Amino acid sequence: MIHALRVLRAAALLELRYLAVNRFMLFCVFVQPFFVAITTMFMLRRGTVFDPTYVVIGATLTGMWSLLLFNSNWAIGGERWQGTLELTVGAPTPVIVVIAGKLIGTTLLSFVSMVVCYAVGAWLFGYSITIADPVTFVPSLLFMLVGLWATAMLIAPLGILWRWVGQILNVFEYPIYMLAGFLFPILMLPTWSNPASWILPPFWGATAVHLSSSGGADVGALLGIWIVLLLSSAAAVLLARPFFGLILRRAIADGTLALT
Amino acid sequence: MNAIALENAGRVYRVTTGFVRRHAKEIQAVDGLSFEVARGELFGMLGPNGAGKTTTIKMLTTLLRPTSGRVVVAGFDVARNADRIRPLIGFAFGGERGLYYRLNGRDNLRYFAELYRLEPSRINPRVEELLDLVSLRDRADERVEGYSRGMKQRLHLARMLLHDPNILFLDEPTIGLDPVGARELRETIRELHRRGKTILLTTHYMFEADELCDRIVVIGKGRLLASGTPRELKALVRDLTVVEIEVFGATPALIDQVRALDFVDSVAVEQRELRQLLRVQTPIADEALPRLLASLGGLAVGRASVREATLEDAYVRLVGKTE
Repeated sequence: MIHALRVLRAAALLELRYLAVNRFMLFCVFVQPFFVAITTMFMLRRGTVFDPTYVVIGATLTGMWSLLLFNSNWAIGGERWQGTLELTVGAPTPVIVVIAGKLIGTTLLSFVSMVVCYAVGAWLFGYSITIADPVTFVPSLLFMLVGLWATAMLIAPLGILWRWVGQILNVFEYPIYMLAGFLFPILMLPTWSNPASWILPPFWGATAVHLSSSGGADVGALLGIWIVLLLSSAAAVLLARPFFGLILRRAIADGTLALT
Repeated sequence: MNAIALENAGRVYRVTTGFVRRHAKEIQAVDGLSFEVARGELFGMLGPNGAGKTTTIKMLTTLLRPTSGRVVVAGFDVARNADRIRPLIGFAFGGERGLYYRLNGRDNLRYFAELYRLEPSRINPRVEELLDLVSLRDRADERVEGYSRGMKQRLHLARMLLHDPNILFLDEPTIGLDPVGARELRETIRELHRRGKTILLTTHYMFEADELCDRIVVIGKGRLLASGTPRELKALVRDLTVVEIEVFGATPALIDQVRALDFVDSVAVEQRELRQLLRVQTPIADEALPRLLASLGGLAVGRASVREATLEDAYVRLVGKTE
C-alpha cells in the first residue's frame, strides 16, 4: 500500500513536470477557461438572475475537464510514443497505478484553472466572488476532483483499446460541459438527456460545488450528492480496471507495446 | 536449474495489409527455437536483421507472449507467471528511446526505482552507486534530452540494474556507440558477468560476441542455426579460407555462378557504393584465387586478398545458408 502511494506520488510529479512544458495542455488550463469565463460573464451578466461565482466555478470546471479529457486520452499512448510503456509494463508495479498517478498530477494542475477564472471574475469584472458555504465547499471541491480523476481513469484505456473511441473522445469536451451542468443547470436540457448526466461523476461534482459555492442546499441534500458522486467515481475506476487488464493482455499477445 | 530455457518456442505475428480490402497475413518471427542458458553464463544471440532476436528477447522479458512452445525464465513460465519473473530480471533495449527526456538522468533512475519497489532508504544510495558504475554522475543533473547516444545507453544500463536483478537481457547494447563508448560498455558488461549475473546479449558484432560470450547461438529466420562456444563456432570454418575480391558490376546471375563452383563453400556479397566485395569461403586456400578470377570472366576486378576464417566468417556461412 505504501509502495503504491509512493508510485502515485512519483508518477504525479513526473506528469506535472511534463505538463508544465506542454503548451497545448497549458492552453487548456490557462487560456481556454479565461475565454470561457469572459464570454459567459458577458452573456449572463445582464440577466435577471446572475451569480458571478457560478460562472467562475463553471468556467473552472471547463478548463479542468478539457485538460483531463485530453491528457487521459493520451496517458497510455504517450508512454508508448516515448518508448517507456514497455519499461513500465516490465516493472513489477501495475500499469494502472502509474496511470492513476499521472492523472492525479493532471487533476492537480487542472485546479489552476480556478485561479484564472477567479481573476477574471474578481479583477477583470470586479465582482465579489464569495463562497456561500465554505464548510461544505471544501469537501464538495475535493470530491469533485475525485470524480473528474475517476472519469479520466475510465477514459485512459478506452482510446487505446479502440482507436475510433479515442478519436471520438477528443470531441467530448463540449458535450460534457453541457451534460454535467458546468455552466448552466441541466434543467435547461431536454429531460430525455438527464439520465446521461446522472451517470457522469462530473455532473455530481459540478452539482456539489455549485450548491456549496452559490448556496441554497441543505447539508442532507449535499450529503446525498457526495455519496452518489463517490459511488459513481468508484464505479468508474472499477469499470476501468478490466479495461487496463485487457490492454495489457492484448498488447502482449499482439506485440503492440512498442511502436517498433 | 537453468536461468533461461526455451523449448520449441515460436512466435507468429498477424498483420493486415490493404486499405479497402484488408488481408490478414502471418509472419513467423520465431520458429521452434530451443536453447538454455545456465546461471551465471554470459550468452550471446547472433543473427541478421529480422532473424528474431528482439522477438525472442521480448518473449523472455514477458513483453510478448509466445504463440507456441514454452519459455521459462528463473524457473517460471513467461506466459503464466510474468508477475513472478518481472522483479527478477532487468532488460535494456538498444536505441535512444525509453527514457523521460525532460527529466535529468538522476530523476529518471529515481522514478524507475519507485516502479521497481526499492525501499525508500535504498533509492538514493543505489542511484548514486549506479551513476558511478556507468560514469554518469557528473552529468546526472542534466536533462536526458541533451545526452549523447552513448550516455542514454549507459543510463539504460543503470536503470536495468536498479533492483539488482540476477538475470539481464541486453538487446544490441552497443549499437550506434562510438568505439570508446562501446568498449566502456563492454567492460561494464564484463564486470556484471564477474559479479555472477546471468546475461543474455544480442549483437551484430562478431568480435563483441567472441570477446564477451561464454556461449553463442546463431539464429536466422527465427530458427536455431548453430550453438556452441565461440571456439566451437570458429571450428566450423577451421578448414576454410576466405578470399575477398573487389569487383565492379557483378550481376546476381554471375554471383550464383560463383556460388555453384565445386570448390566454393559460400559467398557473401557486400555492396560498397559502385563496388561489390565478394567474400568467398573455400577449402582450397591460395589455389582458389586464380580460379575465382578466371570464373569472373571479363569483369573489372579491384583488390583481392586471401585470409584465415574468423568467427564472423562462421556466422556468414551459417546465416548465408538460410538466404
